[in-house]
Amino acid sequence: MKDIREDIAWAKINKDVLHSLENPRKMFWVMLFVAIAMVGVGVACEAYQYITGMGVANMDNPHVWGLYIASFIFWIGMSHSGTLLSAILHLMHADWRKPIYRFAEAMTTFSLMTAGLFVFVHLGRAWQVYYAIPYPNERGIWPNFQSPLLWDAMAIFTYLSSSILFLYVGMIPDLAICRDNMNPGWRKKLYTALALGWEGTDRQWRNFRVTYLTIACFLIPLAVSVHSIVASDFAMSQQPGWHITSFPPYFVAGALYSGCAAIITLFIILRYVFRFEEYMTLPILKKIVRLTFAISMVWTYLNMIEMASVWYGHDPVAKDTLLERMYGPYAPFWWSMIFCGSIVPLIMAFKRFQTNIPIMFVVSLLLNLGMWLERWMIVSPTFAHGYYPWTWDHDQWPSFVQWGIVFGSFGWFTLLFMGFCKLFPSVSMYEVKEMVYHRSLATKAAAGKLEAAGKGAH
Amino acid sequence: MSVTTLLEGWSDWRHEHPINDQPHNPYKWAMSIDLDACTGCNACSVACYAENNLPVVGKEKYAHGQVMHWLRIERYWDEDGREFPDQGARFLPMMCQQCEAAPCETVCPVGATNHTPDGLNSQIYNRCIGSRYCSANCPFKVRYFNWYDYPTTDNVWPAEMNQQLNPDVTVRGKGVMEKCTFCVQRLREAESNAKSQGRVVRDGEVQTACQQVCLPGAISFGNLVDPESKVHKKWQAQQVELAKDVQAKDKEEGGSKLRGYRILEELRPYPSVMYLERVRESAI
Amino acid sequence: MMDSGFDRREFLKVLGWGGTTAALGGCGFTSMEDGKETVVSYVEAKDYMIPSISVYFNSTCTQCDMGCSISGRVREGRVLKLEGNPESAINRGKLCGLGQAGVQHHYNPDRVREPLLRTGSKSGETITWEKAYALIAEKLNGVSGEEIAFLTGGMSGHLKALMGNYLDSFGCKNHFVYEAIAPAVVRAANKKSYGIEMPRISIHKAKVVLSFGADFLGSWVSPVHFSQQYAQFRKGVNGQRGVLIQVESKMTLTGANADRWLAVRPGTEGILALGIINALGTATGDIAAAVKGYDKARVSKDTGVSAEQIDKIAALLKARTPSLVLAGSAAEGYAHGSQNAAAINLLNQVLGNVGKTVEAAATVPFPQMAPASGNTAALQGLNKGLAEGKYKVLFNYAANPVFTAPAAMKFKDNMAKAGFKVAFAHYLDETALQADLVLPLDSGLEDWGTHVPEYMAEGAQINIQQPLMEKIHANTRGMGDILLSLVKQRRAEDYKKYADYYAYLRDAFLKNKDAFGGKGIDDDVFWDDTLSKGIVKLAGSIGALSAKAGAAGLTLPAPAAIDAQFPLQLIPSVNHSLRDGRNTNQPWLQESPDPLTTIVWDSWVEIHPKKAAELGIAEGDIVEIASKNGSIKVQAYLFPGIHPDAISVPLGRGHEAMGRYAKGYGVNPFQILDAVFDKETGELAMHETRVKVSKTGQKVIVVKDEGPAGGRQMGKKIAPRMPTDKVDFSKEV
Repeated sequence: MKDIREDIAWAKINKDVLHSLENPRKMFWVMLFVAIAMVGVGVACEAYQYITGMGVANMDNPHVWGLYIASFIFWIGMSHSGTLLSAILHLMHADWRKPIYRFAEAMTTFSLMTAGLFVFVHLGRAWQVYYAIPYPNERGIWPNFQSPLLWDAMAIFTYLSSSILFLYVGMIPDLAICRDNMNPGWRKKLYTALALGWEGTDRQWRNFRVTYLTIACFLIPLAVSVHSIVASDFAMSQQPGWHITSFPPYFVAGALYSGCAAIITLFIILRYVFRFEEYMTLPILKKIVRLTFAISMVWTYLNMIEMASVWYGHDPVAKDTLLERMYGPYAPFWWSMIFCGSIVPLIMAFKRFQTNIPIMFVVSLLLNLGMWLERWMIVSPTFAHGYYPWTWDHDQWPSFVQWGIVFGSFGWFTLLFMGFCKLFPSVSMYEVKEMVYHRSLATKAAAGKLEAAGKGAH
Repeated sequence: MSVTTLLEGWSDWRHEHPINDQPHNPYKWAMSIDLDACTGCNACSVACYAENNLPVVGKEKYAHGQVMHWLRIERYWDEDGREFPDQGARFLPMMCQQCEAAPCETVCPVGATNHTPDGLNSQIYNRCIGSRYCSANCPFKVRYFNWYDYPTTDNVWPAEMNQQLNPDVTVRGKGVMEKCTFCVQRLREAESNAKSQGRVVRDGEVQTACQQVCLPGAISFGNLVDPESKVHKKWQAQQVELAKDVQAKDKEEGGSKLRGYRILEELRPYPSVMYLERVRESAI
Repeated sequence: MMDSGFDRREFLKVLGWGGTTAALGGCGFTSMEDGKETVVSYVEAKDYMIPSISVYFNSTCTQCDMGCSISGRVREGRVLKLEGNPESAINRGKLCGLGQAGVQHHYNPDRVREPLLRTGSKSGETITWEKAYALIAEKLNGVSGEEIAFLTGGMSGHLKALMGNYLDSFGCKNHFVYEAIAPAVVRAANKKSYGIEMPRISIHKAKVVLSFGADFLGSWVSPVHFSQQYAQFRKGVNGQRGVLIQVESKMTLTGANADRWLAVRPGTEGILALGIINALGTATGDIAAAVKGYDKARVSKDTGVSAEQIDKIAALLKARTPSLVLAGSAAEGYAHGSQNAAAINLLNQVLGNVGKTVEAAATVPFPQMAPASGNTAALQGLNKGLAEGKYKVLFNYAANPVFTAPAAMKFKDNMAKAGFKVAFAHYLDETALQADLVLPLDSGLEDWGTHVPEYMAEGAQINIQQPLMEKIHANTRGMGDILLSLVKQRRAEDYKKYADYYAYLRDAFLKNKDAFGGKGIDDDVFWDDTLSKGIVKLAGSIGALSAKAGAAGLTLPAPAAIDAQFPLQLIPSVNHSLRDGRNTNQPWLQESPDPLTTIVWDSWVEIHPKKAAELGIAEGDIVEIASKNGSIKVQAYLFPGIHPDAISVPLGRGHEAMGRYAKGYGVNPFQILDAVFDKETGELAMHETRVKVSKTGQKVIVVKDEGPAGGRQMGKKIAPRMPTDKVDFSKEV
C-alpha cells in the first residue's frame, strides 16, 4: 500500500492542503443546505418544546430522561477521538496520527459544542441554565457541588475550552502558511489575525513545542475524567442498571470507540472530497481501523463485565432490569447495539477488509449507530423498570420532538465541521512535513546502514 | 457568596445519619400510616389537590403518564394465583417519604432540593432548572415534573376555578419539579404562631391536608422528636428507628410480630414515613 | 368570632372579589410585575377580615345526600377548601373526596348563569327573572293540581316544607322524589324487619360484620360516618380486631377491605343468608322451618360459596358476638331484592344483633322537614303520567332522569309530551337541555338551607347550609328564594313578610327557638350561634325497633338460568365519587383513579380473567355490551374481583352534556338497563340486565394509574400483609 512519499515537496504539501480551502464546488453547497435544513428541524422542535413545555417530548413520570441525555453522552463520547489522536498518540510518538489529528481535534471541539446544546435542550427551564454556573449573586448561593450533573458542567466546560485552545494553538503554524499563501481579501485578514504573527523562528518553534506538549498532557487526564464524570451521572445513582462501578471505564472505552469510528468516517469522506489520498493514506486507515478494533474488543469486554457483575450480584431488581433490556420492549434496540458494537467490528480484524473503503465506511457508521443505541439503552430501560413496580412504564417512546432535535444535532455538527474544513486546513501541513522529513531521515539511515552493513559484511 | 458560605453550606446539606450527630430540634416531621385502617377511598389524594394547587392534567396527558398526583393510592393484589382475590386488596398511599438521606438531594445540580432543619425534603421551585435528576434518582418515584405550563393551559384553571387556588402555595409553571411537602405551608404557619407565643407546636395542632381528611384516621402526622406526640409513640411502639436501615426487630426469629415497616429501607434513604402492615383475619 | 350587633348580610356583601392574586405568583410568572394582576385592598375592611388570615364558616355539603357538615376556609372573600365540621355527629370533622370537590361544583366554569328560555331556539335565549316568573305564572294559570308534576331528588328541611306548601297551594300531590341510586329496597325491608326504615347501625360495636354487597366504605348510605366506625371496628373490642366478610358478585371498595371476600352467584345472596342461618343451627320456630331446605350442599351449589366457607362463617358468627349483617347491592339489584333483604335482615334477628348493633335511630320532631328519600319507583310513576300526556307543567330539581333512566322507559320521549318544562339547574345537563325554561341555581356553597340527614348517626340534628361567599354569578338564585317567589305568586298574604328565603329560615328558627335549645337566649345571639356552629342538635324521638319479623312470606327464587342469547349479567357499579353522575363535571373526581381499577376519565368493563380468556378478550379491547334495550362500546379491563358470569361497568360517566369535564367521557350503562323491577317495592332492579359481549376489533391503551406491573409487588416488600395470629397488637398506640 502506498504510504506518504518521503520525497514529497513542502510546496506540494502546502498546495494540496490549501487547495481544500478554495471556493467550494456545488456539492458542498448542497450538503451545507441539507445541514442547515437539519438544524432548522432541530430548532423548530426545540422552539416548540421551549414554548409549550417538555411534555411534547413525550417524557413522563417516571421516565424523565430520554434521547437528550443519551445524545448528550453520545456527543461527549465522540469528542474523545480528537484527544486520543492528538494528545495520547502524540505522547506515544505515533507519527501516523499527523495527517489526521487536525480534523479529529476539530471533531472533538464541535462534538462538545453539540453536546452543550443538549444540556440546554434537556432542561425544563433552559432559560435559567446559568444557575449551574457559580456566578456571584445576591442570594449567596453556590450550585450543588455534590451533584454529578454539575461535575459534568464543570468538566465539559473545562474540556471544551482546553480543546479549543489545543486546536487553535496547534493550528498556528498552519494559519501562518495560509496567511502567507492567500490572496488579499477577508480570508487573508482572518488568517493574519489568527496567526498571531507567527514567523517560524527557532525560538517560536521551541516555545510552540513546549506549549503544545503541556496542553496535551493537561488534556489527557481531562479526557479520561470527563467521560468518567459523565458515567458517574449514572454510577452515583442507586437505580438498577446504573449503579455499577465499571461504568466510568466502560463509558470511556465507549467514548474512544465511537470517536475512532467517527474518525474513520470522516477520514474516508475528507480523503475523497479533498483528494487527500497522498496524506490520508491507506496504511494510516489500516492503523486507525486496527485501533478501533482493539477498542471495540475492550468495549465488548467491559460490556460483559457489566452484565456479569449484575448477574452474580445480589440485587434482583438490577438483574431484572438487565433481562428487561434483553427481552422487553427495548430488546430490538439492545440487540442491535450488541450487533453493531460487538459483531460488526469483527470485520475489522481481517486484513482484507481493513483498507476496503466502502466497507469501512459502512462499518464505521454502524459502529456509531451501535454506540448511540448503547447510550439510549443505558438511559431508558432503567426508568421503565426501576425499584418501584407501581411506576414501571413500558410505553414511553420519544416523540417527533426528541427525534427532531437529535436529527438537528447531527446537522449542527455537520454544519460546524463543514465550515471548519472550508476555512481552516483540515490536514496539519507542518506536521505532515515533519512526518515526511522523519521518513526521509529514516530512509537515509536505512540506506546508510545497508551501505555500512554492506561495507562491513566482509 | 464567600468561601465560608460554601463550606458551611456544604456540611449542612448532607447528613448520612442526621439523628446521630445533629438531632433535629425542636421539630422532625414524620408520618405513620396504618394500612389496615386505610380503605383506599382516595379522599386524601383529592384533598391534596385542593390544598396544594395541583393541576388536573386531563385524559390525554394522563395517558402519557404526566399526571401530577403528589399522593397516589396504590392497589395491590395477592399473588398466589387464586381465582378470586378473596382476602381483598391492599391499598397503599404513597407520597414523598421525606427521606433523611434523600437520594434526590445530592444530585440536583443547582441545589433546588435540600433538607430543612425540621426534617423535610424541600423543593425550591424558583431555583429548579428542570434537569429532573432528582426524579431519576428517587427510588419511590414520587416526584412529579411540570411537563406543561398548567397555569396557562386550557381547562386546567379556567375562570372562576382559579379562585379556588390556595394563596399559601405557589402555582408552578412549566419546567419545575414538585412533590409532597407535608403541607409545609401549614407547618410554617403553625411553627411561626407557636414561636411568637414562645412555645413549640403541640401535637395535633397542625395537620396535613391528607391527615385532616382521612376518614378512618389511617394517617398520623406529627413531630417525631416530641415524646408526647402520637407519631413518636407509634414509631417507638413499632420499634422503628429513623436512622437505621435494618431494624433490630427484623432480626428476630420468625420475623417481627410488630406491624411497622418502611418501604425500600434497604436502599438506605431513611424515610420519614412508617407504614403499619395490613392485617387479615386468620380464623376465616 | 361572633358577638351581638354583628350583621351577617352586611358582612357577606363586603366579601367579594378582591383577592384574586398572589396565588398565581411564582416562578416564571411575572404577570404581577406586568400589572396584569391587581391587588385590591379594602378601604373599609371589616375588622375580622384580615388579608392572609383564613376565616372558617360552617355549612352543609350538598355533593351527595348524606348531609355531612362542612367547614369552609374562606380567605379574602372566596372559599378555598372545605373541611369537615367537627360538631357534626355524622362526619365528625372528616370529609370525603367527593365533598372536597364541592369547590369545583361551585367554581365550575360551565355553570348556568342566566335564566334561559329554550323553546324555539336550541341555544336558548337569556331572559330576566321577572319574565321567567311571569312565564311560569302564565303557564300555571288555569292548570289544576293533577296536571302539575314536580320531580326532585331527595329533599328535607325547610325547603321540603316550603315545597310542600307550594304544591299544597295547587292541591297538587304529584311530588316525585327520585334518586337513581338509593337504598329504597333496603329501607322497605328494614321497615318490615325492624319497624323503622333507617336504623342506626354500629359497625364499631360489632366483632364481625357480614355485608351482602353493602359498600358502606364507598357509596352506601353514609360512608363518611361508617368509615370512622370502621376504623374503630378494626382496632377492635378488647383488642380483638373486627372481622369483615363481604359477599357480592362484584368487588366494591368495602369488599376490597374485607378479611374474606366471597364471590357469589348474582342474585343468590338471600339463599346464602338462609344457608348461614341453617348452618348456625340456632333458629327456632318458623325461621327454622323456612331454612330447613337450605342445607350446605344445596346452598353451595346455588351460590358458588363452598360448604367449608359457610361453616367457617357460621362458626365465626357464633363465636364472636355481637355481629352485624348488612344488605346492600344484594337487595337493590334484583327483582326479588326485597326477599333477599328480608332474608339478610333475618340473620340479624337470629344472631341477636337487633338492639345491639342495629338500633333505633333518632328522628327530628318536625315531620314536614323529615327527609323525603328518593327512589326509582317514583320515576316510574312520573313516567307513566308523562306517557299519558297528563302533565301540563313539569318542574325538575336535583334530578337528571334523562341521563339516569334506562332507555327502555323512554323517559326522554315521554318528557317531551309535558306541556311546559321548567328545570332548576346548576348546569345544562341532559334533563335541563330538554326543558323549556332553565333557571340557574346558586351553588351549594352560595345558598341557604337546612337539611335533615337521612341517616341519623347519634342524636337528632338539623344541618344548616349557609353561603360561604357572595355569589359568583349575579343572576343565579337559591332554590329557596325561587320557591319563595313562586309561593308568593299563589299565597302572597302568607309569605309577603319574608323578603327572601333567609328571612324565612331565620323566622322559622326563631319561632322554634325553644325546641332548638335556645330557650331564654337573645334572638340574634341564638341565630348567630346556630349559623356559627352549622348544626342544631335537638332532643328527637327515638323510634321503636322490633325484632320479631320472622320468616313470614319469605320466598326466594332459585338461581336464574343463564339466557343463551344474553349469557352474562351486567352489574352497573356505583363509584364512591361519581355515583349517579351528578358530580362527573368536577375534574378532581374525573382524575381521581377508581380505587380498584385505577382507571381515570373513562368507562370500562370489568371481566373476570377466566371469562375473558374464554371470550378471547385482552385488556384494552373495545367490546360491545348489548342488552335487549341497547348497546354500549367500552374498553375491557381484566379484573379478578368479579363473578365470572357477571361483568361490571361503572355508572356516572357517559354524559352527553353537563360541561367540558363531563361531556364525551365514557359510556352510560344506565341506558341499556333492562326495565326489571323489584316485585314488592317497584324499584328498578339494577343487576337484572342480561347482556352479551362481543369484540369490535378495536383496541386502546387503558388510561390508568397502575403501570404494567399491575397489582404485583415483584418480590419487594411494598404492601405486605400479616395474618392476625402472627400480629402482636398489644403494644400498639
